[in-house]
Amino acid sequence: MVRGYKQKTIGQKIKLMTGSFLIASSLLCAGQMSTVAYAADGTSFVYEGYIYDDYGNTLESPAAFSYERQIDSSNLEGMSFQSVDDVCTSEDGRIFLTDKLSGRVNVFNEDGELLKSIKTIWNKEGTIQLDANGNQVTLQAPEGCYVHDKTGEIYIADPGGEQVVVLDLEDYSYIRVITRPDNMTGTTQFKPSKVAVDDANRIFLVVQSSYEGIIELASDGTFIGYYGVNNPKVNLVEYFWKSIATDEQKKQMSKTFAPAFNNIAVDGDGFVMAVTYDSAATDMIFRLNAKGSNVIREEGNTKLIGDLGEDQSAFVDIAVTDYGIYAVLDKTKGRVFIYDFDGELLNAFGSLGNLKGQLQTPTGIAWLGDKLIVTDSTLKCAYILTPSEFGQAIINGSREYYFGNWDEALTYFEQAVRLNSNYEVAYTGIGKNYLMKNEYESALYYFKQGNNRTYYSKAYYGYRGQQMKKHFGIIATVFVALIVLLFYSEIRYNRKNRRKA
Amino acid sequence: MKEKAYYLKNALFHPFEAFYEIRFRDKGSLPLAAIILVIYGIIQCITKQYTGFVINTNNLAEMNSVSVFISSIMLVIIFTVANWTITTLFGGKGDMEAIFTVITYSLVPYIFTKLLVVFLSNFIIEEEAMIIYMLEGIGIVWFVFLAFSGLCVIHEYGMFKNIASLLATAVSAFLIVFLAVLFLTLEEKMFGFLSDIIREFIRRM
Repeated sequence: MVRGYKQKTIGQKIKLMTGSFLIASSLLCAGQMSTVAYAADGTSFVYEGYIYDDYGNTLESPAAFSYERQIDSSNLEGMSFQSVDDVCTSEDGRIFLTDKLSGRVNVFNEDGELLKSIKTIWNKEGTIQLDANGNQVTLQAPEGCYVHDKTGEIYIADPGGEQVVVLDLEDYSYIRVITRPDNMTGTTQFKPSKVAVDDANRIFLVVQSSYEGIIELASDGTFIGYYGVNNPKVNLVEYFWKSIATDEQKKQMSKTFAPAFNNIAVDGDGFVMAVTYDSAATDMIFRLNAKGSNVIREEGNTKLIGDLGEDQSAFVDIAVTDYGIYAVLDKTKGRVFIYDFDGELLNAFGSLGNLKGQLQTPTGIAWLGDKLIVTDSTLKCAYILTPSEFGQAIINGSREYYFGNWDEALTYFEQAVRLNSNYEVAYTGIGKNYLMKNEYESALYYFKQGNNRTYYSKAYYGYRGQQMKKHFGIIATVFVALIVLLFYSEIRYNRKNRRKA
Repeated sequence: MKEKAYYLKNALFHPFEAFYEIRFRDKGSLPLAAIILVIYGIIQCITKQYTGFVINTNNLAEMNSVSVFISSIMLVIIFTVANWTITTLFGGKGDMEAIFTVITYSLVPYIFTKLLVVFLSNFIIEEEAMIIYMLEGIGIVWFVFLAFSGLCVIHEYGMFKNIASLLATAVSAFLIVFLAVLFLTLEEKMFGFLSDIIREFIRRM
């Protein structure tokens, strides 16, 4: 099923009209009171959520998130955003928005108040930091950022300055600058656009359109190697021609390069998660182990490719929670896809457009507690999305399941089913909890509702064993009786034949 | 009738002998063949509906047993017609009745394994699905062997000529389906056109 253009019903039209009216009125208010005004009731845009069932059909679903408010130039106290290219958050709720065109990283608190706009780097002593040549250290065109709460550092990837700037998380003062390591090999230019740091303080840098992989640096900034395997799709026709071509012909043919990674994040277990939007890649979302191969779980109803229709989703950013839920941002249709740690699509919502809450050029996504922050470089703003009642139920359910609190998870998933009875994921979730408690019969029922054959099979294995144990007497008797019958008929048959002979 | 049932049983284990008797000494039974065909159609429906959940990937909400029944029966009938049209041109000895009998009789072991498969599939887990598929494979191989040897016997063909005739059968079956679809589409358009005219006529009256 292709989820293409959807005919809007009258109800939805009314919804959109009231939405735009609210925006207009809020803008008017902003003009009169010259303060920031939000459509505070969150009705300025109502997302339409959906999921896919096991057969690839699109099912309507409440959206997991709703628009709360936005951070835009009006929050910048006189300055304005040129673009918003990435977002990262710290544990204490600070929001960092990178602005590539104006070369700044703007820091906000949870309420959207500007704390600091970083451009020129100051050191601890309160003077401007100079580099080895005596020039000021400034951000040229920062594109990515990463808050490393463990060491209290913020990493800013600056492809324009061919550097990664490391600042103190507390007072944004200079710690160090990582430039191209002397021992770096390969043809990839040192233009890091996205950065992530894992628990062992290894630094991972993404260079856009680098076919060699993610650059992996040791904590002191020395080069370790290229990281991550991204396999290209094999085109059979091309393969055939290449197999019969001579060496000289091969030289003239276009080479098939490994698709580049486009963004990275580090999950709760310290694994690097990456996304690519290269349509030639076989996988779109990666969870890379130490060897660099993809170990992401793909146990859900759909493959991890976002939309199943003709228009391939193009993932620009990924945000992971500590309990394995990850949200990926798609720029083809402006959607946010939310997957759990099993790779099950929990919810998808969002669209391209001009309304508040819709996107044009989505660039970054990050979690702020249970909230999501989505940035857009054309609209030059960041949306803060809060989980709806339904979204909160599924997030809590997945979290409690991840941490092994079966009973709590059960209540949340039951709540999700009450809010959306078409929601296969929640049925599977309920089933999983019964499975963990060895209540196989209930588990079987819910896995059937959730159309999950793998888990149904697991539950059935337990159920069968239980039944076998329970009815062992009967089963054994029948079995023995059958064997006796077989022997008896065999003996009788032989006797009859002997008599004949 | 008893004799004919005996030859049905015989055909499953000694196809060359039994199909010879069926074709040239009139030991086949058309009603029996028809009954088998109907059972085959029903078995296909049962398979779709009652195969165990673990290996049943059909969307049961969208299942239509009538269309499953008709399509599985039509397959046999189209094959019979197509094979007859080809073999009459290529000097085959079998008439349509013989072809129909051979195909339906050959389906019997497939029907039995399918029943067994459907029953057992309700008691398996994913790791054991392989056994089920193997069982089903036995039924299919048995069916193919019976049908192939039966067609050889009734047409008095050698192996290669039989293969060639089967390939030609596939092509002609495709043509039959194509023409049928074409005809039905035309019919539908024609009907639509006529009904439009009649409606127009009534409105203007």
